[in-house]
Parts: sequence; C-alpha cells; structure tokens
Amino acid sequence: MAARDGNDGLSLSVGKPGLIRGRNWPIHVLLWLSMAVILFPMAYAALIATQTNAEVFRFQLTPGSGLSEHFDQVWNDRNIGRFMWNSTVQAVLITVAKTVLSLLAGLAFVYFKFRGKWIVFFFVLITLMMPTEVMILALFRFVSDLGWKDTMAGLVIPFAASATGAFLFRQHFANLPRDLAEASQIDGASPLQFLFRILIPLSWNAIGALAVIQFVFVWNMYLWPVLIISAQEKQVVQVGLQGLQGIETGLTFGPLMLAALLVSIPPILVFIALQKPFMSGFALGADK
Amino acid sequence: MKRILALLMTMSLLVVACGDSADDGPAATADDPATIEMWIAFSDEDRLGFAQDRAAEFSAEHPEYIVEVTAFDSYNTVFEQAQLAIDEGNPPEIIHFFEAATQEALDAVNADGDPIFTSVTDAIGDRTEILGEPVVLGDVVSAATNYYTIDGELYSMPWNTSSTTMFSNMDILNAAGITEPPATWAEVEAACDAIMALPDAPSEGCITWPNHGWFYEQSLGQMGADLVNNDNGRSDRATEIFLDSPEAVAYVEWWSGLEQAGHYVYTGVQRDWDGTSAAFQAQNVAMLIYSSSDTTALTQAGVDNGFEVRSSYMPYNQDIAYEGNLIGGATLWLANGLSTAEQDGALAFLNFFSNPENAAEWHKLTGYIPITNAAVDMLADEGFYDESPNSAVASEQLDAAANTPAATGALVGNFVAIRDVVTAAVEDILVNDVDVKERMGSAQAEAQQLLDDYNELYAE
Amino acid sequence: MSGSLYLVLSLVAGIATGVLSFGWPVETATERRGAFGPGPAGRGVIGGLLGLGGAATILGAMGLCMFAADAEATEGVLAIGLAAAFGWMFGAAAKAFVDRGDSGGSGFGDSEIRTGAYRLGWYWPWLLLSPTLIILVFFLYWPAIQTFRLSTKLTRLGAPRQGERCLANFSELLVPEPVLVAALPLAAIGLMWGVGLWHRRANPSTWGYSVARTVRPLGIVVLLVALYFIFESQDGGYRQIYLNTLIISVGTVALSMVAGLALAYLTFRRVRGITVYRTLLIWPYAISPPIAGILFFMMFNATGGVVAAVTARWGIDFPDYTQNATLARLTIILASVWKLLGYNLLFFLAGLQTVPRDQIEAAALDGANAWNRFRLIVLPALGPISFFLLITNLTYSFFDVYGTIDFLTKGAPAGATSVAIYEIIRVGVDNGDLGRGAAQSVVLFLAVIGLTAWQFKQSEGRINYGGA
Repeated sequence: MAARDGNDGLSLSVGKPGLIRGRNWPIHVLLWLSMAVILFPMAYAALIATQTNAEVFRFQLTPGSGLSEHFDQVWNDRNIGRFMWNSTVQAVLITVAKTVLSLLAGLAFVYFKFRGKWIVFFFVLITLMMPTEVMILALFRFVSDLGWKDTMAGLVIPFAASATGAFLFRQHFANLPRDLAEASQIDGASPLQFLFRILIPLSWNAIGALAVIQFVFVWNMYLWPVLIISAQEKQVVQVGLQGLQGIETGLTFGPLMLAALLVSIPPILVFIALQKPFMSGFALGADK
Repeated sequence: MKRILALLMTMSLLVVACGDSADDGPAATADDPATIEMWIAFSDEDRLGFAQDRAAEFSAEHPEYIVEVTAFDSYNTVFEQAQLAIDEGNPPEIIHFFEAATQEALDAVNADGDPIFTSVTDAIGDRTEILGEPVVLGDVVSAATNYYTIDGELYSMPWNTSSTTMFSNMDILNAAGITEPPATWAEVEAACDAIMALPDAPSEGCITWPNHGWFYEQSLGQMGADLVNNDNGRSDRATEIFLDSPEAVAYVEWWSGLEQAGHYVYTGVQRDWDGTSAAFQAQNVAMLIYSSSDTTALTQAGVDNGFEVRSSYMPYNQDIAYEGNLIGGATLWLANGLSTAEQDGALAFLNFFSNPENAAEWHKLTGYIPITNAAVDMLADEGFYDESPNSAVASEQLDAAANTPAATGALVGNFVAIRDVVTAAVEDILVNDVDVKERMGSAQAEAQQLLDDYNELYAE
Repeated sequence: MSGSLYLVLSLVAGIATGVLSFGWPVETATERRGAFGPGPAGRGVIGGLLGLGGAATILGAMGLCMFAADAEATEGVLAIGLAAAFGWMFGAAAKAFVDRGDSGGSGFGDSEIRTGAYRLGWYWPWLLLSPTLIILVFFLYWPAIQTFRLSTKLTRLGAPRQGERCLANFSELLVPEPVLVAALPLAAIGLMWGVGLWHRRANPSTWGYSVARTVRPLGIVVLLVALYFIFESQDGGYRQIYLNTLIISVGTVALSMVAGLALAYLTFRRVRGITVYRTLLIWPYAISPPIAGILFFMMFNATGGVVAAVTARWGIDFPDYTQNATLARLTIILASVWKLLGYNLLFFLAGLQTVPRDQIEAAALDGANAWNRFRLIVLPALGPISFFLLITNLTYSFFDVYGTIDFLTKGAPAGATSVAIYEIIRVGVDNGDLGRGAAQSVVLFLAVIGLTAWQFKQSEGRINYGGA
C-alpha cells in the first residue's frame, strides 16, 4: 500500500492516511479554524478570569486587574482547594474500585464455566440500560437511610461496580491467546495469581483507558453529589462551583471563570498523561 | 434487719441517682462538653463568620458547651437536608428555617409521630435568664412576633428578619426632576416615564426586582388580601388558596404592564437576586425593589460606584387601602426531645445570639432588622440611624403594618412549591405575553392541588 | 368506558403479548419444534397463559386500583399497556429460559475458553463476581424497583404518612382523552411495523419498495409526533417537557455527530503535526457539563459576554438567551455539542480506520465520486461506531446535560429548557414530591429502553462488517 498522491482529485483518501502534497494549506487553514473554534471558550474564560466586573462590562480585550483578588476569593474564601481534594479522593477510590471489580468480573466471565453464567451476563448487561439518573431519587433515599449522607462512602460505593468495565475486560481477555490460561494452570497458579502475574501486565492499555474515563466521569459528577452531600467541607468540585455565581452581592464573572479553569486542570492533565493508552486501548477494540 | 434497711436505702439512692440522669441525660461539663449543632443557610464569609464568632464566644463563656455551626448554600438546601435528618430521626439542635417553611416545620414529625421541633416559648417557660444569659424572646419586634406566633406563642427564635424595601439611584431620579422615591404604583409609572425620557436614561430600564414569590405575597399583604383561607392559615390549617384573587391579578397585571412599557426589566431568571442587584449596581436601572437584608451592601455599592442610594417603602397600590408589608427571612428552630442540659444550652445560646449587642451588630453588618426593641433603642441612641438613614426604613415599614392576618403573612404547607408555581406563571406572563387572568387561573389550580396533596399527607 | 371493560381489555392485551413473545415462531419454528415439545399451537397456548399470568400478577399486585370507579379513564389505558408489557415479559423470560438449552450458552461460548478454563470449586466464579453483583443489586436494581414503587404513591420526605396514587401520577402527564392516548401510539407503531413489513416483503424492483425504504426510517418520527399529542398540554403540562427534551436531544446528537464526523475526516490524514491537532480538538471532552454551561453562560451573557460585545460593535441587538426560548435551547445545544465533539472525534477516527481501503480504491477506479464512496462504503463501515456514539450522545443529552442546564438557564425561559431529567429533580427534590418525581423517572426510563431497543433493531440490519 504505497502512499497515494492526492493530486488526482481524491480529496480524502480514506483508510490509510495518505500524504497530500501541495494541497496542504487549505487543510491547515481548516484545522486552525476548527481549533480556534474549539479552544475559544476556554481562552475567553481565561481572559474573563482576570477581569473585574467593571472591566467585563466594558468588554475589555486585554487581561484585567482582578486575577489575584479572584484567586484569593476562589481559593481561600470559597475553598476550592478543599473541593478538589474531595473530588480527587473520590475519583481515585472509584477508579480503583471499578478497575478491580471489573477485572475480577472479566476473569470470571472468560475463564470459568459455570451454571447460570448467561443469567449473570444478562443481569450485568441490562444495567447498561439503567443509568443512575433515572432512579436517583430512590437511590438517594436508600443511601441516606444507610446513613451515608455527607460521607465518602456515599459518594463512592454506589459507583464501585461497572458493567462497561466488566465487558471491556471480558472483550480484552477473550482476545488474548488461549494457551495463556492453560500454561498458567500447568504452572499451578491460582486464578488470582494468573490475573495479577499475567493478565494485568497485558492489559495496561485497557486499564489506562478505563482509568481516564472513570477519572473524568467522577471528577465531572454533578447530580449525585448535589443530592448526597450538603455539608460544605465534604462537597466536590462541580457542585462547589455553584456558590461562585454570587460570591459577592450580585453576579461576578471573574471568580467563576477562574474557578472553572482551575477545576478543569486535573482532568485535562489526567487525559494528557494517559492519552496513549486511552486512544489505543479503548477506542480501537478490533486490534488489541 | 438493719442490714436489709441499709441495703434498701442504698438501692433506692442508686435508683434515684440513675433515674435522674436517665431523664436529664449526662449533665454537660467543661471536661465533657455537649455539642450543640446549628445548621444555617448562610455560607458567605460575613454572615457565616458572624455566626461562627458568636458560637466561639458562647463556647468560651460556657465551656461546658460547644456550639458548632454548619453552613449550607441556601434555605432550600438546609430545608432538604433537615428533612432528611428528620427522616432519620437525627436532626441538629438548632435549624435555620425560612419563613415559608414555618408550616412544614410545625408539621414535621419523626418516625414515632412526635413533633421534631418544640416551642421555644414553652421550653423557656417563665425563666428570665438561662445559664446567665438574659431571655430576649419577649422583646422581639412585633412584626416578627406576629408572624411566628402559632396558637398564641412564639414558636421559634427569629434571627434574620427583613422586609421588601426599594432602593433608588437618587442621582438618576434627581436628573429626572424627582426628589423623593415614588411611593405608589402610579408614582412609579410617572417616575419611570420621566426617567426613561432622559437623554442618558439607564441602559436596561427603569426598575427591577427579582421574580420571587415573596414580592407577590408582599403585594397581597399591602392590599389586605389573604393568600389562603382560615385567616391566612393562622386560625386553622389552610385548605384553600387564592392565587388569582382580584388583588393578585391586579398586581401581576400592573407588573406585566410595566414590563411591556419597557420600564420593568426582567433579567430572564426566576428568583434572580444576583442579576437584579447587579443591574442596579451597574446603574443599568434606576430603582430596585429588594430585600432590606442587603441594605448595607447596596448602600456601600452606591458609594463605591459613585451614586446615592436611598431606601424607601415598597410601592403600594394607591387604589386599595394600605394594610402592611410582611417580613421575610428566617428563624431558628429548637429540636424536640433534647436532654435538659442540651436544651438549656441551646436556649442560652439562642438568647445570647440575639442579645442587644449582637442583634445590633448583625443589623449593622447586613441590614436585617434589629430583632429586639432593645437593640433598636441601642442603635438609635448610638446615632446609627442618623448616619445610615437607609437602615431604619425596613423596621419603620414593618412597624407600620396592621395586625391583620393578611398583613402578617400566610402559613401554608408546601409553600416552596407554591411559590414556584407563582414565579413560573409570572415568568410565562412576562416572557410569553399570555393573558394574566387565565395564566393565574391555571396557576391557581396547580397550587390548590399542591396544597391538597400536602394536607393529605400532613393534616390529621 | 367502565373499569371492568378496561380490565378485560388489559387481560386480553396480556394474553396477546404473551402469545407474541413466547409462542410466535417466526423464522425459527422448524428448528425449535424439535427442541421444545409442542408445536406452534401449543406454544401459542402456553404463551397466552404466560401472558395472562403476567398481566394478572401486575394488576393484582396493584390491587386493581386503576379500574376503580374514581380512577381516571387514562389510567385504564395505561393499565392495558402495563398488562401488555408484563405479559410480554413473562413470555420472553420463559422463552429465554426454555431456549437457552438449545444453543448451549449461545453466543457467550465464543468468549469462553474451553481448554484452560479453570475447574476449581463452583464457588470461584461467584466469588469473583460477587462484589460487582452486590453493588449492582443494591445500588442499581433495588433503587430501580423502588422507583417503580414510589411512582404509585404520594410521598414527601419527612411526611408522617404516604398516600396512594395508583397510576394517577402517570395519567396526569397525559391528556385526559383515553381514546387518544390508546390510539395514537398504537397507530404510529402499527404504521412503522406495516411499512417495515411492506419493505421486507415487497419486490425490490417495484416503486412500492423504494417508497417503503425511504419512508421506513421516518417511522420513529411518526411515533415521536404521536407521543407529542398524548402528553398534557395545559400550563405546566408534560408536553412542554417532552418537546424540550426532544429538541435538545435531537439537536445535540445530530450536530455533534455530524461535526464529529467532519472533524474526523479533517484530521484523518498524515499531515505534519496531526496528532497535536487531534489532541487539541479532543481534550474538551474532559471538561465537565457544568463547566461547559459556565463557559457558554459567559459567552452568551447579555451584559458581559463576548457575543453581546461583538454584536454591539456592529450595532445589532443580540437577544438575551434567558428571554428567548429558541436561543436558550440553542445555547444548551451548543454547549453540549462543544463538549461532545472531542469524544465523537476520537471514536470516529477509530471507526475510519476500519474502512476497507481496498474497496475505496476499487470504487475510485470504477469512477465513483467522493460522495458515493462516502455513502456506500464509508458510512456502512462506520455503522457499529455510529450506533455506539448515537447511544452515548443520546445518553448524554438525556442525563449529563443536567449540569449544563443548571448553570446556564435553570430551565428558563418559562420552562423552555427544562428537559425530562431537570424536571425530575425539580419536582422530586426541590419540591419534595418523590412520587411524581419517580413517575417521571419511569417515563424517562421507558424512553431510554425504547430508544435502545429501537436502535438495536435498526442497526441489526445495517451493520456491515465488510473487511476489517
């Protein structure tokens, strides 16, 4: 499959990316345009984060003078740092829990034959059609009755299992060579040892991908924490942003934008750090 | 024989000793302080800080108690969380409930069917002093006392009480030749005509206020119209609501007319305290009807932005005799079933919290009225009102209110949801220009059903 | 119509769906006959009995309250639907149970490793699965069941008692005309099914076939329109919520999928620095819905936003989105699309990799132009990915959009951006009416299930695994 020259009018060579000589610049222009559109909201927010209300109303185009004041308000008054800590703890706990539980589930589905497997499979499959939000009122009541209101348990445990994760690892394990398990059995290893010594080292991409998805998902969680957490110090970031819309009397834009940016940094960092496993391990299921 | 007697005496002594502590619970001591939890709906530095400072002071004075203040984002949040805590049977000792939640607080029961809250008056009894703190309950200003008096006794301890006052940008008014803020609906219209005719008229409009049920109720109070039956829910439980009474329709029609003339600015969000205040501070509107609780902040904002802010009474309907404006704000409720030690501690703190010095300071800090007459006198003596004339307006307006059920305010179950029905209807009218009578009619039906549902669950 | 008539109709409906789900032989009758004793007639009878049992169970469990004299007529119609649903479920469950033996763990066998599968104690797999199962049971299944139970009650947090509402929480979402409620959805479904049948049975060369083929995908539109008319339209009625949800979901999904595919096309080439471009286009996916709402709130704010600034400079008066229903919805859609673009881009890129290159080249050699190549080769190859993205985007626009709305419009203006999930929280939490909130949750739940099922059916015919 030699690289095609794009000059013959095939403007989009699909399949394998092809080199396009001489016609580069329109593409670059389009790319830059798209990037500008996509990046604009954040850039604009960054600008506003530095401006006081007066400057905002004047539609000032240059960075303003309110940054340090806003930072003080956001970090010290509103304690965004505390919220970020709570969210981090929640995200780490849920990610670890989901990964572990999903690995175990994947292991069970692929490497064991047992009666009723199909029922269990369906049982887990159906939950993909049961988003938490449709039952959030009842869940809220149940978790409150357990006494887990305002606790990390209330934030973490309802989300500790993942049907998506279970199927992800099932798919992944099923694509691995069949003699792996056989060899491990011959060596006398228990299933758990098999999991830890052999399967996991082969699954870092999938684990990484799941980790990114979960971290972002948990960090961005809004509806559940709104219901289950009411004490200020236990609150998580997304809900913590609410109070910023009126931190002084009246609307303030600067602190809100600054907080929005600060709060977005961790998930972006995680995403960038785990980009490779995410892009390769999750999306491209066909080739492992 | 003697030994048996001795044994019996010892045993009875033990029983008496143990029995007593079972009734009163462990007495609080400095080594083993009892915790008094107070849940409030203020999370900003100023107001939360005030509460926390008082809590610390009290704990210092009375080392056998620790008062813990927990902050929530809004009244609705405290309300929801308190309901949950009630559901579990584990509410805090003192809860900050807003005035509209009064009926629900009264109706709240735990799993055994016992009321969650107890009457503060009852708990205090005849005492004039608790743990060294003078009792101030009897000195609460009349408007607040009237509102929170149920079955003849003051049930909860009023803390932050406000009323609706109008804030006017006197610079703009003066430029239009107006020397006093308008007092009636007709005067508002005339003022707005003059103001909007100015060459440099305010950019958004003439007047604004949040689309919140409270302002609607205020207007009803001014016109002497009951919101619900049974003397506005005070002589008996409210079972019927009159959302589309002639007075109510008159108010909404006036409001809608003002908006269509381009005088009233609707910021597009219901209950928009932030947006309306911002518009006034940015001088995009000339007048703002708002809560007096922000008097200090708004007056200061005027100073900061270079214009004079003057407070005045909320404009009333000149065609109907004025009865009075209502209070707004919230009170502190005392949990039921506390041990004597805990209850005394809570009561002592409540009275300390609103003693004249603290009440006066609270007023200066925020604009909520000084809750006791002693505090009012103290401030007057200090000359505070000479320096800050705006601060006196709310108290004066409330004092002028007639002592009728309409001007006192309604006691209704499911009040929050009913208020939402009102604001949704008003928004529909303002934004979509639907017919006022019809829309209030369907709001009426909705509200009645909400009330019926509530009574089905709570009424005996 | 009296309650007893509805009762009879309900039982009949239950029997009918039981027969359909258990007894209907369709194409596999001949295979099945050997596996499970009775022939089609026998299966039909058993199916009918199962259906009757299902209907009776659910109606009995609710105490036949929906047929009482003071029940709304529409409750009776809903009862028919409920009986039909349970009849079908009993039949389908029995069928699955009976037929599972036939293909020996059908479909899951391919992932099972026959050699090397562990043969330890029976408890091993259960132990491994138990944490997952426990969590799913307690935090997913139990609340789901509770939601259904709550939906038939009048209940508030902290109230001393509960009230019974039977199906009234549901019937008040609908127009009070039972005939309309019954007829419209059935007519729409009947139409869809009829067209589908016509399409399958017609001779491919006739014009009828092409008409059927074009009209077929529109079936869902007919159903959506029919549903629109069965919801209550009075002030505060559910019709507004339904419309909002429809507009915002369709807008979000359509725009984000099209834009995502376009961007995927744009970045699917070996140009210098393309991976950097890709990353820079994908990362907004990490932004949360609330923050997307905040960003767009800032941009569109009438007093301080950039849109206001730009239009002011040109002398145009850009309307305030909080006062304009269309603009408000558009803002929500834009915020959601912005956030979803990165996600769609990522998956479309993966999907484009599976397009069979040799077919493209062959088609090009045959003279097919770019558009035809796209339509006939690329699109079908993107089938599975598109299906996945459709569901994901739809899920987002149903649920995750809550955070965006809460920061951007809070349902304004006058409820124009109050979508289903927003209303559920407003009614169930803010107003404390758990019963009505639960009822609306059930409606949303049914919508999700319905859409997933419909998508499944659609994609089954369309997925083309050619090549990769």
